Amino acid sequence: MMKARHYMTFLLIMAAVMVWPLRAWGDTEILIGLIPEENIFNQMDRHRPLAAYLSKKVGATVRFTILSRYGDVMDRFVSRKMDGAFFGVFTGVLAIDRIDAEPIARPVGLSGSSIVQSYIFVRNDSGIRDVNDMKGKRIVFVDRATVTGYLYALSYLREHGVASPETYFREVSFAGSHGSTIYAVLDGRADIGTVKSTIFQKLVAKDPVIKEELSIIARSRELPDTTLFLRKDLPQSLRAKIKAALLAMDREPEGVNVLKKLEAQKFIDAKKEDFAAFYDIARTAGISVKTYKYR
Amino acid sequence: MSLRLGDTVLFIAALFIVLLALPSFCLAAENTIGVIMTGDIPYYQELHKSFMARLGQLGLASKTEVLVQKPYPDHISLSNAARKLIAMEGDVIVVYGAPAAVAVVKERTKIPMVYAAVYEPFMSELKTRYSTGVYVRLSISSLLRYLRSLRQIKTLGVVYSSNEEDSVYQFSELAKLAAQYGMKVDGINLKRHQEAQAMLAKRRVDAVLITGSSVAHMAMGQIIEYAKANAIPYASFFLSTDARAMVSLAANPNQQGEKIADKTQKILDGVSPDKVRSDAATEIELVFNMKDATSMGMKLPMELVTEATKLIK
Repeated sequence: MMKARHYMTFLLIMAAVMVWPLRAWGDTEILIGLIPEENIFNQMDRHRPLAAYLSKKVGATVRFTILSRYGDVMDRFVSRKMDGAFFGVFTGVLAIDRIDAEPIARPVGLSGSSIVQSYIFVRNDSGIRDVNDMKGKRIVFVDRATVTGYLYALSYLREHGVASPETYFREVSFAGSHGSTIYAVLDGRADIGTVKSTIFQKLVAKDPVIKEELSIIARSRELPDTTLFLRKDLPQSLRAKIKAALLAMDREPEGVNVLKKLEAQKFIDAKKEDFAAFYDIARTAGISVKTYKYR
Repeated sequence: MSLRLGDTVLFIAALFIVLLALPSFCLAAENTIGVIMTGDIPYYQELHKSFMARLGQLGLASKTEVLVQKPYPDHISLSNAARKLIAMEGDVIVVYGAPAAVAVVKERTKIPMVYAAVYEPFMSELKTRYSTGVYVRLSISSLLRYLRSLRQIKTLGVVYSSNEEDSVYQFSELAKLAAQYGMKVDGINLKRHQEAQAMLAKRRVDAVLITGSSVAHMAMGQIIEYAKANAIPYASFFLSTDARAMVSLAANPNQQGEKIADKTQKILDGVSPDKVRSDAATEIELVFNMKDATSMGMKLPMELVTEATKLIK
């Protein structure tokens, strides 16, 4: 009788141990950060259906949160014990380099593209057509921790003989988001801006007048668009579940609806090698990921 | 040879007049600057205040006589003001607004002119050997975009004045843009600010956009009253400290005042105006009057809240 009771207790403990990881993910949430690319309210609205969809597929509560600003992304990621984040090129490289995060998947936009470029743009009536015309003007970047909103422009300027933007331009500012950078130039609050192509195209599609007023004077080479990264110490099974759910979304009606709200066609696989182009830009810009002070 | 009493009185009187006149002769200003505002509106008053303050910082205030003309913004009044200052033969004529600048240029004077708050498309009319200043590059489409974010607009009321060339230009640009957005434009040509109430009363518009017209800004109180009564948004190309628009996109007047004072100093020091570079106003302000928008039950567009350089709560 005693033997049977011990046996039953052992079985119960074993069952509890086996079920524990599932219960843990079922009860707790997976927190995923979003970098502030555009109007943060629109951004949250677009991602909310994806959170609900993934929660259902993965069997855990998936929640998105906006990371306050680019420069804080990595600190916030660590301090808020995040499980993953949609990172841009630079923050993605930082995530690989500093916290060994794993690129999982990235969305393909409505245009059918999952790559981005950096644009350097001006108002048509500014009279600015090249770097020489930029001398003494006001330039607005997005943030030091972005390739499309800063580092590409830095490399372009260096290639054209401008070693120090602080002395070449009359005013150097950081708008904090790609959308704000575009509006600053449109309104005449700055003369030159540099942004991510997808945000630029999105605003142009919404308001074609913008296209008539702005000119793109330089474009970077192609770079991967915002990519979902997950912490390496998340259970492999969970990472695989999230990846599988994302990659299969476009093949089921519910997923297609969520993708529509996200303004994407589908998700595709992402790899570390996708970020190789970054290192060329970083070299021309004269920065090293290890030592670059992006805050 | 003794002097007669009449001669003595005459001599003393003459001496008295000379003595009276002597101090003012000794203290006579070294420089004379004539100023013309295109209408007496808060935006130009603010600009002028900064101009005077900067002259003080440059040590010019005590030795400079500044004569200010505030003609009504119509061609005859502006032209009269320009002629008065030219006849005075001052050292520099300073003008605020394109209509005043154009009025001075038309007189073909050789007195140097320093302009401020001139809308950029009018720069070609001011390019003479005798002028320099600060021009303003404003995005008409941006102001319209922000106004549209407050409410769906089918018919846009645009207040302008056919006496002010820059506002006519803005009106025609707005009409082109509105057509692209599928909006109708109802132009409200205001020649006298007192007529605003009567002219607006007949209109049925979804929003009001006030061009850079001084007459329109002299009627700002009536325009705001009309907009509030009809619960419609209103936007302006000028900044104001009292009767504020719901959305304003304008060049900071203080920066312009300081810049033109620096240019004036160079001219007073003998530099030819064509050697003093004219440049654009760089401090552009987007002000959102959230207080009025909220009280009128408007939705608060996040785009406007986040982009505004100043929020009035």
